[in-house]
Amino acid sequence: MLGLPEEFTPEFIARLDQLRIKTRREFAGLGKGTHLSPRRGSSLEFSDFRHYSDGDDFRYIDWGLYGRTDKLYIKLFKEEEDLLTYIFIDASASMGFPARDRKFESAVATALAIAYVALASGDRVMIRVIAGRGTPPPPAFVYGRHRIVELGRSLTAIRPGGEVDLAPALAREMVSIRRAGKVFLISDFMMLPNVATRGLGLFTAANMDVTAVQILGATELDGQGLNGDVEVVDAESGERVRVSIGQRERDRYRETLLRLAREIKVFCFRNGLHYTLYTTGVDFHDFFLRAVADLGLVH
Amino acid sequence: MGLLNAIGLLNPGALYFLAIVPALILAYLARERPRQATVSSVLAFRALHVMRGQRFGGRPRFTWTFFLELLALCLAVLAMAGPYLLKKGTPIAVVIDNSAAMQALTPAGKTRFDEAIAATNDALDRAGGGQVTVYLTAPQPHQLSGVIGGIGEAREAIARTKAVDAPDDPAALATLLGQLASDSHLGRIIFASYRSIAAPVPGRVVPIVVGQPIANYAIGSFALTRETFGAAALHARVTVANFSPSAQALTVTIAGDGKPIGTAQATVAPNAVAALEFPRLAPATIYRAQLDPSDGFTLDNTAYATGSAVKSVAVLFVSPTPADGASLRSIPGVSVATRAPNAYSPKDLANFDLAIFEYTVPKELPTVNALLVMPPPGDPVFKFTALSAPRVEVAGWPTTDPLTDAVNFRLLNFREGEYLGQHPWMRAVVAGNSGGLMLSGSRQGHRFVAAGFNPFPYLGRENLPMSILTLNVLGSLAGFGARTSGYRTGEPWMVPAGVTAIVLPSGHRESAQAGSLFSSVESQGLYELIGANGQQTPRAVNLADLTVSDLTNNPPISVPAVAAGAMPASSTVRAPLAAYVLAAIIVLIVFESLLVYRRRRTIEVSP
Repeated sequence: MLGLPEEFTPEFIARLDQLRIKTRREFAGLGKGTHLSPRRGSSLEFSDFRHYSDGDDFRYIDWGLYGRTDKLYIKLFKEEEDLLTYIFIDASASMGFPARDRKFESAVATALAIAYVALASGDRVMIRVIAGRGTPPPPAFVYGRHRIVELGRSLTAIRPGGEVDLAPALAREMVSIRRAGKVFLISDFMMLPNVATRGLGLFTAANMDVTAVQILGATELDGQGLNGDVEVVDAESGERVRVSIGQRERDRYRETLLRLAREIKVFCFRNGLHYTLYTTGVDFHDFFLRAVADLGLVH
Repeated sequence: MGLLNAIGLLNPGALYFLAIVPALILAYLARERPRQATVSSVLAFRALHVMRGQRFGGRPRFTWTFFLELLALCLAVLAMAGPYLLKKGTPIAVVIDNSAAMQALTPAGKTRFDEAIAATNDALDRAGGGQVTVYLTAPQPHQLSGVIGGIGEAREAIARTKAVDAPDDPAALATLLGQLASDSHLGRIIFASYRSIAAPVPGRVVPIVVGQPIANYAIGSFALTRETFGAAALHARVTVANFSPSAQALTVTIAGDGKPIGTAQATVAPNAVAALEFPRLAPATIYRAQLDPSDGFTLDNTAYATGSAVKSVAVLFVSPTPADGASLRSIPGVSVATRAPNAYSPKDLANFDLAIFEYTVPKELPTVNALLVMPPPGDPVFKFTALSAPRVEVAGWPTTDPLTDAVNFRLLNFREGEYLGQHPWMRAVVAGNSGGLMLSGSRQGHRFVAAGFNPFPYLGRENLPMSILTLNVLGSLAGFGARTSGYRTGEPWMVPAGVTAIVLPSGHRESAQAGSLFSSVESQGLYELIGANGQQTPRAVNLADLTVSDLTNNPPISVPAVAAGAMPASSTVRAPLAAYVLAAIIVLIVFESLLVYRRRRTIEVSP
């Protein structure tokens, strides 16, 4: 529909309209919005007192405080601004395997759904694609829900490819980001846990509110659909390993993958990051709407 | 060196095992190749088991290690087949005389041995290729380090040999030459010596005679004796020989522990031997006799002797009546310890020079010389048979035997005693009317005397004939008068009790076991016998062979007649190659191990 993935049905979009992004801290925005900002403004959210000075608006004098202290104080309120939302999509070669799992397509759908939620809430969205083949969206914020179509067309034209070392790649992206905001990192995290946590640590060091979305394929979890004597080739590094795969090996393989995912999850929880795992075998709508809280969204 | 003509196999049937090689290759080629699959990451696959083909009992991997192992397998089969190289050449036997006489100098100033080696090398060069077997003649003919591959190796082996201080055994040498001459496989037998071979010289024998008859003055023997048993002063007797065409005044100077203590001179006629007496030599540990004038054969101009005989003689007296043994303490230089028979242990003998068993016999052969007084019959060790008599009478005795020397048996009045029956390895020295009264013999290098009468207690002058007999017996058992000429080079001797190591004159130390035969006696000089407690006892070993010293008379060696065979122009020799093939297998396995180890380390190090 309009260049958006097939998951974007009218019913789904209607459900997305009811969501907004929730942040654990306040970020300064670029314009008026619905998220509290550290700046002082005119919202209803009280922020602080200060001594009255000439020229201050009498309407903000706290008369109750004056009666108790016989001094004039002005009430200060927080500003409400839009949220700067950054969505990073891992488009390295590993996201394309196994092909039947459509991991990258799921990642794109997730990113677009999040982007729609942000745009519909009046927030600004910047989508960055790490590696991959094709023309990524320009590195600029988009504003307004109508821009989702533009983002959809741009992302669905990208194909996974290339080798990515997550931490250095994210560090390069961080150079061009001037303002803190909400970050969504969507990847399969098929890497050593310390590599993944090093990349996530870059965002926390930059005072970002981070949500890590891990996409794993259903086939991928089941021994990548392999059986018998196989020489497996790493899609990114090209490393080859000869293995004999049976049911026992598949179980061990699944345990290993889940253990790696569990390590990333533990890191996120310990560092105040949101984390959710999407397995492509599950219906996307169910996943997204059930994982609203884990994604850092709110109704 | 012979030419390589062909390669042969001792066990060609082993090559049937090579049939396994194509079977293995077929198995490798026919096996299912693993399919390739691109996956998102191999991270989790690394934790899985390796492929069945890489596991024991599974299909082997189709890698370079397979071919390496296949090559090792082929080589192993080849080694089983016993490969050899066929070399053509004439096997040569080289017999080099390395006896003491080869140390004599030639007019050119070189020793006979050096000239023999040079001449042998020339003869080998002229002989051409072939395997060489080297024999040395002294102290007994023996082969030197197996069969040697070629001339070069033979020359190196010969260059490492040296002449010894021991004489050779002419009879054994003649036997060796006869055996070699009768070996039809040998093309040539080179014999280098100062002696020639008596005609007819066997056809394949090439005699090389080095040196010429030269005049020589020699010390024949240097013997120290004690005038009487237990006396401190020593009597030295040095025999000198003059092997020259004219009479010569020969002077012998004896040094005791490095200090001159006696000189004697005698004019000796040509080819005559004279004895120089040194009646009262001061006690010393080591005596060295030096002959003047010196000559071209210096080995026999010096002789050694030791004064260890002066030390007191330790006697272990095992008897139910120990008072008999205590009487021996009145003999000068004799210390006696007594034991009851049930308290005796063979280990006690380690500290004694001789043992006396009275009315008893040990349960095993003593490791020292021993006197057995009236032994009970039927023991399992000596197996004496005895006939008891209330009065025994002497029927005869030899006057020249050291045991009976100066003993007037007619004056002896034996009371009760026993006649000893015929013994398997002891002879009767004193015969009685119904059997032997005194037997003597040696076993395992030790002397044993058995008496059918009891000479104890020792009464000294009160019973002079019996005392003389007792002293003769004890003197003989303690070593006095038995080895008048001492120990000679090339003659092995029994390692005395308590000795654990022996230091040779060269300074080399060899471990020794008491009671065993010590054969490293090729050098003239002083050997230090070292006991378990570090006590050192010198022992002199001399050439003491005037036959060797007679350098003017070199009798030819008569080689036993052999059937004259045609000299083979060349023969084919098999040089086994199995050792080289096995070495190649080991190299291959080590090479593969190193590569696999390196590869495994690379995988472990990589993240």
